[in-house]
Amino acid sequence: MIGSAWLLIGLFISWQAFDNAEGDMEAEEENQDLPKKGKAQGRKRASAPDGVVKPVKLSRADLYKPPTNEELNQLKETENLFHSSLLRLQIEELLKEVTLKEKKKQKIDAFLHEINALLSAVPETPETDLADQSWLPKDVKVPFLQVPFSVKGKFRFLPPAAVTVVGSYLLGTCIKPEINVDVALTMPRAILQDKDNLNQRYHRKRALYLAHIAQHLSKEKLFGSVRFTYMNSNHLKPILLLQPQGKDEKLVTVRLYACPAPGFFKPSRLYPSKNNVRTAWFLEQGSPGEGAAEPPTPHYNNSILCDTGLESNLLFLAGASAGFPGMRDGVALLKVWLHQRELDKGLGCLNGFVASMLVAYLVAKHKISQGMSGYQVLRSILQFLATTDLSAAGISLSKDADSSLPTLADFHQAFEVVLVDPSGLVNLCADMTASKYKQVQFEAKRSMEVLDDSTVDGFQLLLMTPKPLIRTFDHVFHLKHVSKLQGACKKMQLLNELMDRGGNYVAAALPFVTSLLARGLAERVLLLTHSLPQAPQWPISAEPPKHKDAGHLSFGLLLTPAFAASILERGPEADRPEAAEFRKFWGEKSELRRFQDGAICEAVVWGAETMCQKRLIPEQIVQHLLWLGGVPGWFNRICTYKGGGPAGTGEEAMVSIVRSYDDLSRKLWNLEGLPLTVTAVQGTHPALRYTDVFPPTPMKPDYSYHVRIKDKESLLPLPEKPCPAYIAPMKVVCHMEGSGQWPQDKEAIKRVKAAFHLCLAELLSQQHQLLCRPAATHADVYKDGYIFRLQVAYHREPHILKEVVTPEGMLKYRDTEEVTQVTSCIHQLQQQHPAFSGTSRLAKRWVRAQLLSDSLSDECVDLLAASLFLHPAPFTPPSSPQVGFLRFLHLLMAFDWKNSPLIVNLNADLKVADYTEIRNAFVAARPHLPVMFIATPRDKRSSVWTKERPSAQILQRLLVLALESLRALEEQLADPLGSQDGKMVFRPPLDFYDILIHLNAKQIPRHLEGVDRPAKSFSRGMLKSDALVTTLIFPVVGYDPVQCYLQELREAFGDLALFFYDSHGGEVIGVLWKPSSFEPQPFKASNMKGRMMASLSREELVTVPNVEAILEDFEILGEGLVRSVEARTEKWTI
Amino acid sequence: MAAGKRKHVTPAEAGAPAGYTAVPVKLSEKQLSPHYLYVKEHKVREGTDTTHPPNRTLFVLNIPPYCTKACLSRLFSCCSSVQAVNMCEKPGPREKPEAPKSKFFNLKTVPGFRVAYVVFKNPAGIQAAKSLSLQGPLVISSESRPVKTGIRKWIASYAASVVDPAELKAEVDTFMHTYDQKIAEEEAKAEEEAGVPDEEGWVKVTRKGRRPGLPRTEAASLRVLEREKRKRARKELLNFYAWQHRETKRENIAQLRKKFEEDKQRIALMRAQRKFRPY
Repeated sequence: MIGSAWLLIGLFISWQAFDNAEGDMEAEEENQDLPKKGKAQGRKRASAPDGVVKPVKLSRADLYKPPTNEELNQLKETENLFHSSLLRLQIEELLKEVTLKEKKKQKIDAFLHEINALLSAVPETPETDLADQSWLPKDVKVPFLQVPFSVKGKFRFLPPAAVTVVGSYLLGTCIKPEINVDVALTMPRAILQDKDNLNQRYHRKRALYLAHIAQHLSKEKLFGSVRFTYMNSNHLKPILLLQPQGKDEKLVTVRLYACPAPGFFKPSRLYPSKNNVRTAWFLEQGSPGEGAAEPPTPHYNNSILCDTGLESNLLFLAGASAGFPGMRDGVALLKVWLHQRELDKGLGCLNGFVASMLVAYLVAKHKISQGMSGYQVLRSILQFLATTDLSAAGISLSKDADSSLPTLADFHQAFEVVLVDPSGLVNLCADMTASKYKQVQFEAKRSMEVLDDSTVDGFQLLLMTPKPLIRTFDHVFHLKHVSKLQGACKKMQLLNELMDRGGNYVAAALPFVTSLLARGLAERVLLLTHSLPQAPQWPISAEPPKHKDAGHLSFGLLLTPAFAASILERGPEADRPEAAEFRKFWGEKSELRRFQDGAICEAVVWGAETMCQKRLIPEQIVQHLLWLGGVPGWFNRICTYKGGGPAGTGEEAMVSIVRSYDDLSRKLWNLEGLPLTVTAVQGTHPALRYTDVFPPTPMKPDYSYHVRIKDKESLLPLPEKPCPAYIAPMKVVCHMEGSGQWPQDKEAIKRVKAAFHLCLAELLSQQHQLLCRPAATHADVYKDGYIFRLQVAYHREPHILKEVVTPEGMLKYRDTEEVTQVTSCIHQLQQQHPAFSGTSRLAKRWVRAQLLSDSLSDECVDLLAASLFLHPAPFTPPSSPQVGFLRFLHLLMAFDWKNSPLIVNLNADLKVADYTEIRNAFVAARPHLPVMFIATPRDKRSSVWTKERPSAQILQRLLVLALESLRALEEQLADPLGSQDGKMVFRPPLDFYDILIHLNAKQIPRHLEGVDRPAKSFSRGMLKSDALVTTLIFPVVGYDPVQCYLQELREAFGDLALFFYDSHGGEVIGVLWKPSSFEPQPFKASNMKGRMMASLSREELVTVPNVEAILEDFEILGEGLVRSVEARTEKWTI
Repeated sequence: MAAGKRKHVTPAEAGAPAGYTAVPVKLSEKQLSPHYLYVKEHKVREGTDTTHPPNRTLFVLNIPPYCTKACLSRLFSCCSSVQAVNMCEKPGPREKPEAPKSKFFNLKTVPGFRVAYVVFKNPAGIQAAKSLSLQGPLVISSESRPVKTGIRKWIASYAASVVDPAELKAEVDTFMHTYDQKIAEEEAKAEEEAGVPDEEGWVKVTRKGRRPGLPRTEAASLRVLEREKRKRARKELLNFYAWQHRETKRENIAQLRKKFEEDKQRIALMRAQRKFRPY
């Protein structure tokens, strides 16, 4: 019996849940866990932070008990309907979180009933002219921009003929946090007149109808707020918002739509090709211009037709979702997906209604079947969006092939994106621009890739990660004042569009602007999109917002790294007909050029010298095009934070360093007379992998600023002069050939290496006339103004250091710090992603600016930055340093460091199995691993670069700082009218420290690297780069008094306090007492460092830190460097 | 921060733990508050510590970072003439005498606050040193022999780091010469022993011989084990018997169950952290 059950289960491979048993099993598990772990790990548990995933231990009985039928069913379902068990659980949790609870539904239903009762009690009004609105009380304003004001027609109020709930509430697909219930009020036929489809008459009646209702409802105590807004930000369609009173205010918003009596409008009058807004009326000319054909007004027509189909569309959706719970879940998930991408709100959005319609379309096409789960519905819809271009080939939900209905081609002529509703009349995506749809498609494609990638947590990336414009796009620019678009409309002769859109110049100009930019940027951008204009809500007593109140408009560009920075735009050959058009498009920027292949072409050349300027070429283009478009001066550029370098952002400096280094390595390879040959030369300095914040610059020392050491050709700093500029030695590892002659003893290897250093120095100066200075551990080479520090390495040396012989004579390898070769991998990354260097450097600058220079290793920051490029999902790899930096901050802040390893797949060496292996090992050994765990292909288990630092406290502080910086930066970037001081997040807060040690700027060699360029600078004993001197004396290398000082401080007082400093020219050292250091401790001979005796009571003697003396020590140790020690005793007492 | 928790303590000026005497010490007259050296007679069993003879050695605790060996020697020379000063990081028996000191290699300085053993020529020095506590604070840096700190010190140490190549070369050469000799001797000895059985008849196999055996390393032995395992696995028949078949399936289900439990735990945790609020 049991045996057969086992055989049955064997058919299913992947695992699934049995929800009903979930709660009980958890409880059971905890009970079993406690007695076992309670005693043995009691202490560890208490100290370990809560909320850490621990490896699961199930008893044998639990693991091997025969499965039940339910379990089997569950198994089958997960196998068929979901991707993995975790995903299924996650989706279920998410749905629980966003869907409406039954209890709340009852409250909402009660509220709706009350509204219904009130609506039928709204009093009638006598008939008046449409333009005569004196009957409306003063405390309510018509929610409509009545331009031009005068219009024919009569209006009177009658209570609605029908009140129906429509939309997502009935379908059960509405999701938190904004629960909206849509209620359609059918205006009685008596209100409407024959020609109401003309000249916004219907729209104005709608508005008056709602205004009257609003005025009456606002007197009721039932409502917490009564406000207006525009439906989908379309200003022709105001709607009334009602919220309940009291604590339920946020629970629900009831939205009242007014719609015409069914069958009132004749559909044939409202086809996309028909005109319903007369030019003469719109321009307020007295008599209609004779002869001129009136232009079609498809958007206007569509806005009327929309209202006629509310109920039938609901029935259509209800039909599709009947008996199909997966559809409800799927639509809810899709709405979350859209919301995270900011696609579901504003004019031309893809809102929940359109999303439901798309799902219904797929159901009708049998692409979705009723047995599917919510996840599968989401997947199908994403697949559909990714592969279907509605802007080229629209779809229609209409089934009857009535030849009198407009065809899809008619729709395409009138609209950019086409999705026709079941009646065959309404385009549901009328306001959407093609570029917005392209964005939807792009997002869907990316999302499908994420879902198919089994190494990432698709759920987290697709449904839980918000993608704000600022963090998604490489370049973002804002139109500060949309009112300038009015001018553009005039210049581009968009009168017909303006009429069609009822005077909304933003909507009219937007498709034009995007197509202009798309053409101009061409292959430089992967994707160009814009933010959706959002209409605010306003109280009923206020005037409706104007078009210019839509705030600023933002555009996002995703760049293609290969083309984005090219300075040349090559056009057609001069004698071709396209050339004229090209010239017209680019204006005077276009010029004739002769190319190397002999062709003479029209071309546009953008002026940019450095990498920094080249990065801004797209900006130049946009500015130029928009200026041509007739709206100059409203470009607001994204601030570029430079590291603060004197010229450019240092890419060129690093290129010249690498060139010099390449030359040096070639010389090393070809050196004659070495006892062993050089097998490899490896640069390990960050500048050599393009990630040094301030790459070294060529230096020529000024002799008069230094003393010369007797007999040695080296300079020494003078104590009374300012400290010489810092010259960083760049470490270059020089691997020597293996040979039997290498000794097997540690000490002897050191001597041999020293001998090699001497030898290299001598040969380099003999054969290449380079100035060299050997030492026991390295040899410095002065070349092209740079200092390279050569270090000889012997490939077996790390092995010999690790070797220990066990008592049995077995040779074992002790684990010492692995010397991983991050450099070469990162170098490759830089070749693929030009923005990597900038991102990593900004990140480093930020970390150091927060005075955490020594709390995070450089390699760690490099790896974090690398992960942004290697695992960008749900974004694309950053193509500009700014967006990379924003994502760096977000990664720091949002990553779950406690429970997950950050896996950086350098070189794509890790396979799927490796990922699982890393994760399992991580969970098993979590308490013993560093707080920040970064795994790479060469280092799967130990996370070498974060082993020592950061500590848990520092990481915590780092996260807080990242959160604050990100918030400040994003606010700043998203608001073009605010201040644009990007450096703000690079200024550290100092109120956190107990003691501040102020330094003497004269002795800070890197003072110029400070975030804010110092007002006063010192001459640092260096000649200008073009000075004609051949240096024969070695400059001062690697001498930074502040670092010496910090080292001494940490050695002497590391037990008592923490020291924080910005290694790029910081003028202050922050000191923080360790909380434990002030605890009086009993006397211990080994622990009397800087302490003194104190009596706690009469008898008892304890030790406390000798604070006064220590504070004086701070000054003594840093004599000449320290300006003052500021003890903030208000934060602590002695 | 620390302030709240602190109980009220009064610093005891000359307070010292049992057996110790507190000696105040300053860098210069300008310094207002002194550090306290805690000194006592070094006591160990006779004969165990030859470098620090018990009756003449003073044990000093809490020496500030700027006080060098020479300074200490000078400070205590007022008591009695000092024979040797030995500074280390922690109190305790001295580590093994290191290899002959080198000017260029293994430079190790003891940083921060240290302890020291001061050996006097004459036992009377100890009593005299203990009485120092009654006088005013000792001054480390004097007019005649100033102690360098800060910028001056760092410049000096930078200057010291610039080495003379010739000197370095000479030292390396002598070291390698003795090393080569040592190695040559060892090899000669090993060659002599090669192939010669010891008193029990065992012959030592080395990597130099005609048939070198397996190297005795961890990696090699792991490799052997691995190979054995693979050989065994190849021979074994899987899913041959019905019970084997059942076992595999049972095992499979068990794995899935375990995975599921882990997933559930993860979800519970995320739920607790409100990780399912999408916005």
